[in-house]
Amino acid sequence: MCGDATNWDEHGYKDSILKDRDFQTRTVFRTAWAPSLNPNPDTLLVASSDGSIASYSISSCISNLNTHSGLFNTSNDRLLAQAQPSCFIQGHDGPTYDLKFYGDGEDALLLSCGDDGRIRGWRWKELTGSNCSVSSHGNDMKPILDLVNPQHRGPWGALSPIPENNAIAVNTQEGSIFAASGDSCAYCWDLETGKVKMVFKGHSDYLHCIVARNSSNQIITGSEDGTARIWDCKSGKSVQVIDPGKDFKLEGSVSWVGCVALDASESWLACSSGRNISLWNLPASECISRISTQATVQDMLFENNQILAVGADPLLNRFDMNGVILSQIQCAPPSAFSISLYPTGVVAVGGYGCCVDVISQFGSHMCTFHCQCV
Amino acid sequence: MEGYRLMEDGEIEEGSATMADEQGSTNSEQQRTIDESPYEILQNTKASVENIISEMLSIKREGKSKSHIPELVTQMFLHFITLRQANRSILLEEDRVKTETERAKAPVDFTTLQLHNLMYEKSHYVKAIKACKDFKSKYPDIDLVPEDQFFRDAPQDIKDSVLSNDTAHNLMLKRLTFELFQRKELCKLHEKLEQQKKSLLETIANRKKFLTSLPSHLKSLKKASLPVQNQLGVLHTKKLKQHHSAELLPPALYVIYSQLLAQKEAFGEPIDLEIIGSLKDAQTFARNQAHKDTGIPTNVDSSKLEDDAPDEEEDGQRRRKRPRRVQGKEGVDRAGVFQVHPLKITIHVYDDEVSDPKPAKLITLKFEYLVKLKVVCVGIEGSNDGSENDILCNLFPNDTGIELPHQSAKLFVGDDILFYSQRTSRPYKWAQHLAGIDFLPEVSPLLLAGRETSDNGEAARGEDVIAGLSLYRQQNRVQTVLRRIRSRRKSQLALLEQLESLAKLEWPLLSCKSVPWALHSPLCNLDGWSAIRALPVPSEASSVAVIDKEEHVQESMDIDVVEYPGATKEELESITEDGELPTLRPNMSKFDHSKQLSLISKSITPLSKVRSQSFKRSDDNSDFLLDIESDLDEPAQVEREDENMSNYSAKKSVSWMDYGVKEFSLVLRRKISADERIVNLEAKIKISMEYPLRPPLFALGLRCISSGENHKEKDGLEWYNELRAMEAEVNLHMLKILPNDQQNYVLAHQVCCLAMLFDYYLEDAYPSTERINCTSVFDVGLCNPISGRFLSRSFRGRDHRKMISWKDMKFTSNCP
Repeated sequence: MCGDATNWDEHGYKDSILKDRDFQTRTVFRTAWAPSLNPNPDTLLVASSDGSIASYSISSCISNLNTHSGLFNTSNDRLLAQAQPSCFIQGHDGPTYDLKFYGDGEDALLLSCGDDGRIRGWRWKELTGSNCSVSSHGNDMKPILDLVNPQHRGPWGALSPIPENNAIAVNTQEGSIFAASGDSCAYCWDLETGKVKMVFKGHSDYLHCIVARNSSNQIITGSEDGTARIWDCKSGKSVQVIDPGKDFKLEGSVSWVGCVALDASESWLACSSGRNISLWNLPASECISRISTQATVQDMLFENNQILAVGADPLLNRFDMNGVILSQIQCAPPSAFSISLYPTGVVAVGGYGCCVDVISQFGSHMCTFHCQCV
Repeated sequence: MEGYRLMEDGEIEEGSATMADEQGSTNSEQQRTIDESPYEILQNTKASVENIISEMLSIKREGKSKSHIPELVTQMFLHFITLRQANRSILLEEDRVKTETERAKAPVDFTTLQLHNLMYEKSHYVKAIKACKDFKSKYPDIDLVPEDQFFRDAPQDIKDSVLSNDTAHNLMLKRLTFELFQRKELCKLHEKLEQQKKSLLETIANRKKFLTSLPSHLKSLKKASLPVQNQLGVLHTKKLKQHHSAELLPPALYVIYSQLLAQKEAFGEPIDLEIIGSLKDAQTFARNQAHKDTGIPTNVDSSKLEDDAPDEEEDGQRRRKRPRRVQGKEGVDRAGVFQVHPLKITIHVYDDEVSDPKPAKLITLKFEYLVKLKVVCVGIEGSNDGSENDILCNLFPNDTGIELPHQSAKLFVGDDILFYSQRTSRPYKWAQHLAGIDFLPEVSPLLLAGRETSDNGEAARGEDVIAGLSLYRQQNRVQTVLRRIRSRRKSQLALLEQLESLAKLEWPLLSCKSVPWALHSPLCNLDGWSAIRALPVPSEASSVAVIDKEEHVQESMDIDVVEYPGATKEELESITEDGELPTLRPNMSKFDHSKQLSLISKSITPLSKVRSQSFKRSDDNSDFLLDIESDLDEPAQVEREDENMSNYSAKKSVSWMDYGVKEFSLVLRRKISADERIVNLEAKIKISMEYPLRPPLFALGLRCISSGENHKEKDGLEWYNELRAMEAEVNLHMLKILPNDQQNYVLAHQVCCLAMLFDYYLEDAYPSTERINCTSVFDVGLCNPISGRFLSRSFRGRDHRKMISWKDMKFTSNCP
């Protein structure tokens, strides 16, 4: 394994221990389903804190893991098997925070953003076709799109560090990419020119999340400052400031808007604030209901008329629109950062420990795996 | 006539005498014939008488005259007278002859006697001559000195002397004389030499006597010199003895011994080697082994032989031996497969730091060889409790020493593992590597030496061993192992020191000031330090499993306890109604356990455990507890099932990394002045035996206690990501900044770093002042504001990471 008295490599061994620990502290920040017409989900993309973007074939994961699950695996900590990615790219320096597909089918672009302040795009077809292996570290895959956040000018001409991109959203009709950036601004990038079309300034702290409300050409951002804002994309002005934490402020703890979600009709907005979720009816601009969970909400989405939310506990919560909890499903990541839904209802939850848990529409675990440690 | 007869009786051959006698008689007859021998007279007279008678008769018959008768008668008378005369003369003659014969006989007798004497004398001489001729000398093979040599060497007086008239005889005599002379000389010489020899023998005996007394002298001298040797560090005597006993070591131990010794002598490695155990036992053992290998098959026999062997010793030693023998026998009976070779090696490992001329002893190891299992076991000398012994475990990855290294040995032992675990010395893999078990032949060296010449295969094997040894040296096994043992020992000492200071609730001292946390003076208090559990007992896999499980329970507790108060009963019911969906409750484990065991064991807290724990921790939750208790029936059962299952899995797979792990709980307490809250950071620190190679692993939990409300609350979930980030920093990232020479104090660094992180996190979570988000700079000298500003931020990213930066070793919690 790591050597013994016959060929002892102390540094190598120490490195391997640290690497192992590093691996255990790794976080999956985003899971995304690759667009497919197949009713069963086939490919899951995983962006994790080491900057990698890897795609996993669900069917092969299931078959592999089934063979594994027969034998009660070794140490309890590492019960989950590691899955072999079918494709792997080193997307960013530092964590990769978000993944989005731009477009459908053949021409789909895979967009990613990360801590290095870049937005990168790959042709999905090339990625799947190239079959780039893990060994090549995926570095040879050049992104066809590479956008870097602008730096701010400070006193005496000093440049600020490049702010990170925490989330992206797309508007395919306008050809725009929206990025929630670390400098408390949201940027609208033009995909064709690669230029910033619009800067949305107004938040007082960095942005956590962004969604595009394409039907009314708006974006909604959530920020560290504890508010969410609705912006008009044409004017770049803030239309509405939502302060979901207003009522909870009394408790004294500062909470930020970690995630926002829009339903399919784009008239309902779920907005997290710390442990709470507030549900807003956008046309009425009204808070309809408030939901309390046990842990900080870190990602959520709408499925039909239900809200799926994950947070800093290993639970997948399902609420109805009134905030009544419908079910709680135990999931693998002890702290989940990402939930993504396949059109047929299969849910992928990713989070701390580099765990990904794929849960079927019926609530059973289809497969659970650790991402490959590279 | 009688003379003849006498002569005939005496000496028949005496012809000459007879002849003379006959001559004598013929002479006398001749005389008679000359003067009418009486016999003729007798004859004539007889005839004349007869004539007269016949005349008378005729006269008578014819009647003639009687006148003639008187004349006739007178004539007749005359004849008668003549007759008488003749007769007398015959008789006289006879007498005369007789006397004559008598006279003649005397000289004959004398002569005969003389003859006889001579004959006797002759025969005597003949006999003497024969005896002389037949004389055998003592040394028949020594010839007379040859003539030429005689003439050359003989002294003049012998050569000149005349002893006989016969020249040849003379020569011979001279030679004999010379011979005699010479022999006499030689005899003298012989005697002299004999004497010399005797004196020499005497001196030899003297010297012998001295020599025999010498060893004891030497021994006493040696004994007397021992202190001096010790003093001077020239352990010559000991070394020799050790060399001698090294030859009896089993091959595996021999490799260890020789290689370590070579290392010591070649590189001045500060170690000391010693072979202990009885040489005699080893000899008998080797003999038995040889016997066994050559044909005596049964173990019983060999062990018996071994046991009998000491009986042959003289009585004086017997008493001393007996107890050991008994013990040995017992050992054999009890252990059987764990039979230990009588010789063992102890190694004292000293500190190899150059600065110290008299290095401190770090550790003493004892290597022993299990004969039946063919494994080398190592223990620590002078410590019988297991905790000390664990120092050697996991010296290299996956080497706990509780498993036998070879598959065959495992099969051999079977289920006897229980006994095995009680042994203080264990068959670590590194010990096998050190012993070169991987290339050593299975045969004992005694046999090997005997067979090597004859058998090609054996020779090849010998080459294998040589190749193996060279590989062994190339791999630097000895250095590697020694280095590891030293660093292990030192780090354990350092660890103990740190643990002690922590147990006294003092911040551990950091000698290294070049890391930021060393300069940070913590605002929080070191509030608690306790050992959670000792080492798992390796023999009982099940108990390990239980402990392991409990650990998980505790781990999950930190995280999960809150969720129970959070979930109300209605919620729970609504979930269970949902039916098919797996839910929070433990009965979910029924749903899918095979696949989700991890989820179960990791995050489902068995309710009874929760209860007990909660009782301890919170009084306010009692209403909640009632709720739980009403639900208890089923989950309790599930829990058991669950436990069984994890027992099962744990039995198979108690991770080697968990072996010898010590766990501690550290509590850092910080009082938040703003709202009178107390925040406790609880860290479960798992320190593995591989410390510091595998740095202590911190698992963090947070508890807030609002003193005003007297309310205790677990705050783990709200802080989950922050805690994980701190864990990552303490467990992983800070280690990269740690200087190499501080590795042994990694625990202290980690604790300090944790305190620092805790301080900074709390500062931001409960800000004492309003946060300043923007920095505007005024250049005072120019009196006009400089354009441009930075957003200063302390968090970043989706996981809300806190950013900490420092300049000149001083932290600023904000980052421009």
